[in-house]
Amino acid sequence: MTVFKALTAALLFSSAVNIANAQDFFISNAKLVTNTSQNPMENADIIIRGGKIAQMGVGLSAPQTAEIIEANGNWVTPGLFAPFSRLGLMDIGGEDVTNDTGSEGSHTSVSELASDSFNPKAVFVANTRRLGVTHAVISPSAVGDSIFGGTGAVINLSGDYDSVETPRAFVFVQLGESGTRRAGGSRAAALQQLRSALKDALAFPGRYSGPEDGDALSRQDASAFVGAARGQMPLMISANRAMDMLNIIALKDDFKNLDIIILGAVEAWQIADELAAADIKVMIDPHQNLPSSFESVGARLDNVIILDEAGVDYAITNASALGIQRPATLAQHAGNAVGNGLEWNKAFAAITSTPAKWFGQNGTISNGDDASLVVWDGDPLNVTSAPIHMLINGERQSLESRQTALRDRYNPTSEDKRLHKYR
Amino acid sequence: MTKTLRMALLGATSFALLAACGDKTETTTQTKEEKGPAFASTYTPQPSETTLITNAHIIDGTGRDIESGSILLTDGKITAIGVDVNLEAAVTIDAGGKYVTPGIIDIHSHLGNYPTPSVSAHGDGNEVTSPVTSEVYAEHGVWPQDPGFDEALQGGVTTLHILPGSANLFGGRGVTLRNIPARTVQEMKFPEAPYTLKMACGENPKRVYGNKGGPGSRMGNVAGYRKNWIKAQAYKKKRDNAGDDFQRDLQLETLADVLDGKILVQMHCYRADEMVQILDLAKEFDYKVTTFHHAVEAYKIGDYLKENDTCAAMWADWYGFKMESYDGILENVPFVHAAGACAMIHSDDEQGIQRLNQEVAKTWAHGNRAGLNISKAEAWKWLSTNPAKALGILDETGTLEVGKRADIVMWSADPFTTYARPEKVFLDGALLFDKESGLKPKSDFRLGFGG
Repeated sequence: MTVFKALTAALLFSSAVNIANAQDFFISNAKLVTNTSQNPMENADIIIRGGKIAQMGVGLSAPQTAEIIEANGNWVTPGLFAPFSRLGLMDIGGEDVTNDTGSEGSHTSVSELASDSFNPKAVFVANTRRLGVTHAVISPSAVGDSIFGGTGAVINLSGDYDSVETPRAFVFVQLGESGTRRAGGSRAAALQQLRSALKDALAFPGRYSGPEDGDALSRQDASAFVGAARGQMPLMISANRAMDMLNIIALKDDFKNLDIIILGAVEAWQIADELAAADIKVMIDPHQNLPSSFESVGARLDNVIILDEAGVDYAITNASALGIQRPATLAQHAGNAVGNGLEWNKAFAAITSTPAKWFGQNGTISNGDDASLVVWDGDPLNVTSAPIHMLINGERQSLESRQTALRDRYNPTSEDKRLHKYR
Repeated sequence: MTKTLRMALLGATSFALLAACGDKTETTTQTKEEKGPAFASTYTPQPSETTLITNAHIIDGTGRDIESGSILLTDGKITAIGVDVNLEAAVTIDAGGKYVTPGIIDIHSHLGNYPTPSVSAHGDGNEVTSPVTSEVYAEHGVWPQDPGFDEALQGGVTTLHILPGSANLFGGRGVTLRNIPARTVQEMKFPEAPYTLKMACGENPKRVYGNKGGPGSRMGNVAGYRKNWIKAQAYKKKRDNAGDDFQRDLQLETLADVLDGKILVQMHCYRADEMVQILDLAKEFDYKVTTFHHAVEAYKIGDYLKENDTCAAMWADWYGFKMESYDGILENVPFVHAAGACAMIHSDDEQGIQRLNQEVAKTWAHGNRAGLNISKAEAWKWLSTNPAKALGILDETGTLEVGKRADIVMWSADPFTTYARPEKVFLDGALLFDKESGLKPKSDFRLGFGG
């Protein structure tokens, strides 16, 4: 125990030292998107000191010690924040032993921490980082007979061993068709499991002091659910059917402190005003326009536009299986929302500052912010663009990955004529 | 060079070409067997008006890029294309500098046989009862009311190829469809388009049948192909020498038709080494592999693909969902193209099929960033020209050339950006999607849900 504490202290100390000694940067001549003003600032210079944004403006001079990054008029933006993913929780989805996204046979639910399964060295982390994502929410998935996936985390994509930033960031629960299956077969069962679990958590530890324990959760899971039940962290609920979301709104009437984020929300446009009035956040995929199930028969391309007009607080995600595995194409999904009529600023905020704020981060470029930003070779929401420089929390990031290593080995323009395995 | 030449030829050549096309159809009909083919196409182009699109940025699919051009559509065919000249037509559309391209062709789709809503009753794409099911036809599992067809049309897809799934070594016959809103699959079938045979490499067959009598390994996969090609050779020989009382075997008939060169092989295969083994298999039995699908590692063997004249159909950035897809790179399509092989994009997905232009834009940009210098006009071949070639329909569609079907998309902006959407989609010269007027198809399934 003492050794552990000493180690922890040493680690904390060393990381504090690192920040104090962090390289300063001067980014010159940027088309700067800060997420705090309406339009990009042209010809902007940015000074980063001690890992934080220190100053922004036109015509600044570079501090003596700063490394200079010339943006040459290119876009500089906050790093992308993936609002929902399973990044670092699997190597290959189809190989069970490499896949830690859910636990079919465990006896725990809410108390399972995605951060315990997270591997910052999984190749998808660097493969996703090089496409502009600096931070991600990682969530476990409900696969057993519980509607609860577990407790999700916020990580950065540095690939460093200390890249979990918030190990207990939210609790993930599945309603709708998938939760129904977990709960035993009906929506009624799933919703009741959630209500009971909330009551268990709010009555913790009292309810667990006698020989009887909770109605839905074990002692350890009830304990882990207290924060979300009290609204101290978000409760993320997957649901797509408008009626299921109305039931979630009703749940919030009974449990007023809940900070609810609905994931999926395909039919949210049908109840946009109700969602706005209930102050419920939604996380949607602007590509979803097909009735892929009977709970999403109302799917339409302008879901996001209608939610925006109603004043709903929304984030944009890539909800496809691969998009969750590695949210590398997040910007494309936001870009398509723009193509279908959403303002660029709003779409960009929906993959940066909007979800970042939900999970206690900034997602902006303002004085005092941790410097997590990207220099792009074009409009970041355009599929033809890619990052050319990246900082996470003030540290320069590699844009190399296993994919670029393969690319370089097999590049047809390569002059290297040795056998491939020697390249 | 591209000046007024084509336009000048309007009066003479293009009408002659049209007439030739008409003749060809008649002759083929006459020489058909008495009963005609089973499940024959009943596709009929929708009525169209003579339409002139002017002031368009035309990418024609042959590698040509005409910054301000016109295109004339007459009786469903392209009858002139070139730079602006004065022509009369019933309908004139001033494109205002917008892009006009060939309709997109997706060589790998499961629309209709894995339709939405994806309830269990809709799983009609894999005959998972035996590793050899070359007797099944994808078209018999296609539900024309799949709402995905309508959305794909709005994404600019005018022709698509529906394949059986990849559970089996020999999955069955694929079918090429016109993306026309229809009640029956026969109304969608691309007239005269060759059938294809879906085959699958690697993990899927051995996983599905490993505990059901095999194959249970890649060795078993290859042994399974060989055993059945041997049977097909014997069947073909018997058929070649037989008279009228020959008893058909549907399973071997498909394989023998491959050996006769009538059916094109479309093979699901991820790994580079495995693709080259399949090329050797084809040499052993003297048939051709037309296209490798999902060829995630094609970039490692561009030289082999070129040498064998075998195409690769690829994603821009799908990889890593199973071991054999682990080595995916974002430059796969342009690297295969740069090797001189036939490269194309494909979707295998009801979402991806709606944005294939973006998938090409992504991989094109990554390729050029890696040092290649491929033009947009050249990269467009990955969307329509090469898929048409690999489906045996390039003489009818896939490029904007005089005499071809008028399968055309007019875009709101440069299709090599995220923000561009199709504004008008023509199929055989008939306007089937028009953003301006709100014209678009709606599946029966989407009626009456309220909201």
